[in-house]
Amino acid sequence: MKKIVLLTLLMLPALGALAEYRKVSLTVFGMDCAPCAHAIHVSMKGIRGVDKVDVDLNTGLVVIQLTQGNKATMQQFNAAVEKNGFTHKDAKVVAVGKLGGTPAAPYLEISGTADHYALSPSGQPADLTGLSGKTVTVSGALPQVAKGKVPERLTYDSIVEAQ
Amino acid sequence: MKGLLLFTCFVALTSAAWAADHGPVFGYATPVNSQYEWSFDTGIFGRAGSHCAQFSTGSQLGYGLTPHLTLNAFLPGTFGSASFPETRIYPSGEWTAGASWRFLHSVTSVGRRTEATGSLAMVLPGPQKEAGVLGQLARAPGLAGTLATGFASRGSYLWLGGGYTRFAQSGGDQRPDTLSWSTVYGYRPARLRRGYDQWDYRGLIEFTGEHTGNVRLRNTVQAGTGTTTLWLGPSVLAIFKNIAIEGGVQGPIYRGVPQSIDGREAVRFAINFSYLKYSAHANAH
Repeated sequence: MKKIVLLTLLMLPALGALAEYRKVSLTVFGMDCAPCAHAIHVSMKGIRGVDKVDVDLNTGLVVIQLTQGNKATMQQFNAAVEKNGFTHKDAKVVAVGKLGGTPAAPYLEISGTADHYALSPSGQPADLTGLSGKTVTVSGALPQVAKGKVPERLTYDSIVEAQ
Repeated sequence: MKGLLLFTCFVALTSAAWAADHGPVFGYATPVNSQYEWSFDTGIFGRAGSHCAQFSTGSQLGYGLTPHLTLNAFLPGTFGSASFPETRIYPSGEWTAGASWRFLHSVTSVGRRTEATGSLAMVLPGPQKEAGVLGQLARAPGLAGTLATGFASRGSYLWLGGGYTRFAQSGGDQRPDTLSWSTVYGYRPARLRRGYDQWDYRGLIEFTGEHTGNVRLRNTVQAGTGTTTLWLGPSVLAIFKNIAIEGGVQGPIYRGVPQSIDGREAVRFAINFSYLKYSAHANAH
C-alpha cells in the first residue's frame, strides 16, 4: 500500500506535463452555412481527447480545446476538415512537448503523438539555455500544408518550462 | 447477395434532378455530402393548373462516399390525375438512383468556395402510371445527367445548372427527351450571418426552364407534343445545425405547351424537410 502511494506521488508531476496539444485554433476556408459548421463540430468532437469545439463562420476559426492526457494529432484535425470538403489553413497551437536539439536548432517532440516540429521564433528568439531535454509549453503557429500532410516547422511566440 | 440487394436498392431509388438538402428547392446546385454523411430529404410538391392539380411526395437518401462523391436514391409518390407536360427538374413518378461528383472545388477565402458538380442517374418507371398522353406509353428506363456550377459564400450564392434525360424505347413507345436548366441566386442579409447555433436563413430566386421533345407512340413521333416552359419564383431556406426546412413557389413566365394534350400549369410549389447526419468518425493516428 505504501509503495502504491509513493508511486502515485512520484507520477503526479509527470501527469501535469504530458506531451500533447492543449488548444488548437485552426482557420478553415469554405464554410458558408450552419451545416458546414455543424459538420466540423461533429467531426472534431469525434476525435478522442477533444473537449470543446467552437466554430465561427464569419472568421472561419475553429477553436479546439483538448482534455489532459489526450493523444490527438494535427493530422486528425486536418483530416476532419478535409472529409467535409473544406480547406485547412494556418493554425495557432498551444502544445506541451519535449524540447530537443540545440538552442540554435531546437525542435519540439509531442511524444504523446508522432508530431515533431522544428522550432523557429516569430520575433526575438527565446533563451532556450537550460530547457533542452525538458518538457515545455509552446505557443505558436503552424503554417498551411497540403492535404494529408503535417507541417514540419512551428513558429513559436513563447516557450516556457511546463509546470 | 447482400451487396446485390444494396446495389438494387440504390438503382431502384434516386434523383439527379431534384435539388434540396441545403441548396435550392427547384434548381440545380453543387453541394454534395461530406464523407460518411447521410442525408435524408422528404417533401411535398404541387403543380396546379387548368386540368386540376397534381401532388407528389418524394424522399431522397444520400450518402457521402468521399468528400466529393455522393450516392443518391430517390423514391417518389404521386397523387392526382392532372395531365401536365413531362418534367424532369421537378419530382415526378420515376424512381432514380445515381451519383454526384463534385469535380471542381476551389476554396478561395473564409466562407467562400467555387465548385462544379456532375450527376448521373438511372431513371426507372415507378409503380404509378402518369396521367394524360404520358400514361399511354409503354414504360422504359432512362438515363439522366446534370451539371451545375457556381459559388457559395456567407452573403450570396449563385448556381447555374443544366440537365438532360433520355428514355429508352419500349414497344415502339418513348418518353420525350428532356433538356432542363436553372439559375439560382441566393442571399443572406448581413444581420443573419450569425453563429451556427442559431437559425440560419437565406432567400433565393429560382429560375428554371425545360424543353421536352415529341412523344413517340407506337413507332410514330407525335408532332406537336413537345413543350417549352420557363418558371420563376422565390424560395426560403431555414437551417438549424443539421435540420433544414425550405419552401418555394414558382409561376410561369413562358408556356409553350400544346393545350389540347396537356394541362396549362399555373403554379408550382415545394416544401422540403432535410435531416443531415454527419459522421464523427475520426482517422486514428
